[in-house]
Amino acid sequence: MLSRTLKRALLDSRLPLPPTFLLPWAAGLTTVSHTPEAGNVPPPLIDSAQHVSTDRQAMKSASKQPKSASPAHTAPATAPKLPAPSSTGTSPIALSQSVRDLLPLLQAQGSHYITAHIFDRPYLLTQGDTVRLPFFMKDVAPGDILRLNKASNIGSRDYTLKASAAAPKLKSSTTTTVEVLDPTSGSLASHSRVMPTPSPDSETPSSTAARTMAPHFIPHIAKGKVSYLDDRLFVCRAVVMGVEAEPMRVKEKTKRRQRKVKSVKSKHRYTILKVKEVRIRGVEEIEGGDELD
Amino acid sequence: MSLTTPSVRFFRITLLRSAIGLPKRTAGVLAALGLHKRLRTVYHPVTQDVAGQIFAVKELVDVQEVDQKLSDGQMRELRRPGPGFWVEKRVGQQAQEEVERT
Repeated sequence: MLSRTLKRALLDSRLPLPPTFLLPWAAGLTTVSHTPEAGNVPPPLIDSAQHVSTDRQAMKSASKQPKSASPAHTAPATAPKLPAPSSTGTSPIALSQSVRDLLPLLQAQGSHYITAHIFDRPYLLTQGDTVRLPFFMKDVAPGDILRLNKASNIGSRDYTLKASAAAPKLKSSTTTTVEVLDPTSGSLASHSRVMPTPSPDSETPSSTAARTMAPHFIPHIAKGKVSYLDDRLFVCRAVVMGVEAEPMRVKEKTKRRQRKVKSVKSKHRYTILKVKEVRIRGVEEIEGGDELD
Repeated sequence: MSLTTPSVRFFRITLLRSAIGLPKRTAGVLAALGLHKRLRTVYHPVTQDVAGQIFAVKELVDVQEVDQKLSDGQMRELRRPGPGFWVEKRVGQQAQEEVERT
């Protein structure tokens, strides 16, 4: 489908870029006149059959620096039962030294929690939790096992593994920042600093479009956007328990001086999940690329 | 030396500020651009006409120059969140596998 390939193409950026429309774009908007920049190229409609969920492969422990992502190439990933979507970054994941040191400590601690995102909404979960989703999940039956692969945090009592915050690199490259020096101390000169384009070199528009550059910002959904962990770091499974329905509620619709009263009935359904497993993979397991579990 | 067709560039125009309280002409320009609500985005080809329209409402909009225009459906797809999960095992499929094995 064109729409899904477009989205996958947008998300398929292997550059050290945050997720496309997950940025605080609103900060970059301005009504000041701009000069057009070459870097302002929307992503092309590449027919990509691969699903890449998050762009940031960087993660950090509670107090360390993030590690930048490594460029990825697409490769299909399969699971024993059902073909899994290829995970983030099909290239070997690069762990920073701090993560390598502290991940065993995090693993050794007894209980873990995870902030899993289902349709971009966070749910704070741990093993054994029963989640009543605020929607009806289609195409699943009671007993189906879901693998949650989008998480922003995994932690235990003393340690937390989080994805590094998305740097606002993709401010509209036409934005300029005008700095005025302090008139009391320095000169009255001001200089304009153009935000650097993500691509270091100049390319033709077609080849530039082949890499996701300053993509289309969507300011009104840029609020509260999070960056996700690489899904090869953890395993989170939930089983569909069933479907629950709310009590029937009736909304009466009418207008003033109008005798006709229309009744609208609502009885929404909600899917119940039970979290069966929240597990953090070990460093050897992550780097070995063993995805059997 | 081959002749290459020049790439058509587009303005990506986002309405940031409303035209309430402004002269009707300004609101008319926004309507002509297709910007009826705040934070709506439209794409127009880079021409002198459109540039003039943008100049008339330059204090209200944010403009980028891009190579490709997106339709409303495509922009909606970009906004659509990913599921965040995939179905690892289905109950019905397991029964099917058992049937196939026997």
